[in-house]
Amino acid sequence: MNPLRVAVAVARKDLLSEWRTRELVPALAQFVILALLIGNFGFQVDSRNANVIAPGILWMALVFAGLVAFGRTFAAEREQSSLEAMLMTPASPLAIFAGKAAAAAAMLVLCEAVLLPALALFFGSPISIELITAVLLATVGMSALGVLFAAIVARVRARELLLPLLILPLWIPIVIAGAQAVQSAFGLPGSYDQAIGLLVDFDILFVVLTSLAARFVLDE
Amino acid sequence: MNRYERWAAAAVALLLVAGAAIFFYAPTDYLQGPVQRIFYLHVSSAIAAYGCFAVVLVGGIIYLRIESLAADRFARAGALVGVVFTTVTLVMGMLWAKPIWGTYWTWDARLTSTLVLWIIYAGYLLVRRLAEPGRQAARLAAVVGIFGFIDVPIVHFSVTWWRTQHPGPIVVNDALPPQMLATFLFTLACTLVLAAVLIGIRYRIETLLDERQEVFEPAKVVHTPQPEASR
Repeated sequence: MNPLRVAVAVARKDLLSEWRTRELVPALAQFVILALLIGNFGFQVDSRNANVIAPGILWMALVFAGLVAFGRTFAAEREQSSLEAMLMTPASPLAIFAGKAAAAAAMLVLCEAVLLPALALFFGSPISIELITAVLLATVGMSALGVLFAAIVARVRARELLLPLLILPLWIPIVIAGAQAVQSAFGLPGSYDQAIGLLVDFDILFVVLTSLAARFVLDE
Repeated sequence: MNRYERWAAAAVALLLVAGAAIFFYAPTDYLQGPVQRIFYLHVSSAIAAYGCFAVVLVGGIIYLRIESLAADRFARAGALVGVVFTTVTLVMGMLWAKPIWGTYWTWDARLTSTLVLWIIYAGYLLVRRLAEPGRQAARLAAVVGIFGFIDVPIVHFSVTWWRTQHPGPIVVNDALPPQMLATFLFTLACTLVLAAVLIGIRYRIETLLDERQEVFEPAKVVHTPQPEASR
């Protein structure tokens, strides 16, 4: 079987099932709006400090929305025990993993499509190409790690407890580089090019490492 | 006294000698005063923690390759002992930072990455506790251990570029009096012995736990995935 076609088929299946139920993306959208609301209460935002606070709120909202999204990645497979069925086909586990990661990344991008305009509306921060590039690059690494660890915890008893504990520390490098890029995109000091370069490096590293590890995780 | 008790007694005796060297042999630091004596155990336990996590990494890789139960037990033992040494490093560092930097904590590269290290391996131990024992848990934990080990240098180097207060890794230079260097090297050796002894004892405990698992819960050794009714 052509691995690329397998990956596309798995991603298409996930996106189609999301399109039919429309469960996750609306929930995520509401979740990020709520995160912005709580950020507003927590920080006493006004026009002078909004630019300083906005990057922090953006990353908090994105990271926690990511946790919610990746926690649901294998929900359907778990409920129907269909992951075992998929793994019994001759399709390579890596292709299945890539398809799941692509679908999860697409849903996180939809969530970002709500988050960034809402941030611009409520915090007056500009939406720029630099901002979108940084967030999209971070999504790549976050999705690779997120889906790998979602697969790891999918068959563990206390998965809701474990996923945040495992994934958040491993996302920290991406958050460090992404936050620096967004801060400089919002006009705060810091080198944008250096941060983006770092983000690309982390993306490549994590995509390669998760592809190597996927075989051991999705192999039962 | 069995073999393990003798090892433990030897390690404790060595550390007491190291303690005596730290307080009575090493000279008092001219600038920092007696508080600088924290240095010897602080740095030694940090190095011992790195060693323990290297055991987790190597154990994880060997387990993924050949499914050796012994490698997995070493990884479990290394993670537990490593978390203990990381805790010691963090607490002693905070006690040292308060009089010298004026604060227990600062978001410095070294401090941040050490905290991340602690969180990752505490998470590793939680995986071991929460996942059903057996092949599955061992594989998952191996992946966590490998990613954890890679993450720490990344965090360290990515935060190095803009905030640094912690002194660099250079311990040995011309300004260090030979008594201080000797005390440090001796404390380091004793701490590494302690770490090895603790890993050895924990390895034995993990072996006994595995054997008990096999005797009392033979059904759980073979894991069959069950469809779940609950959401």
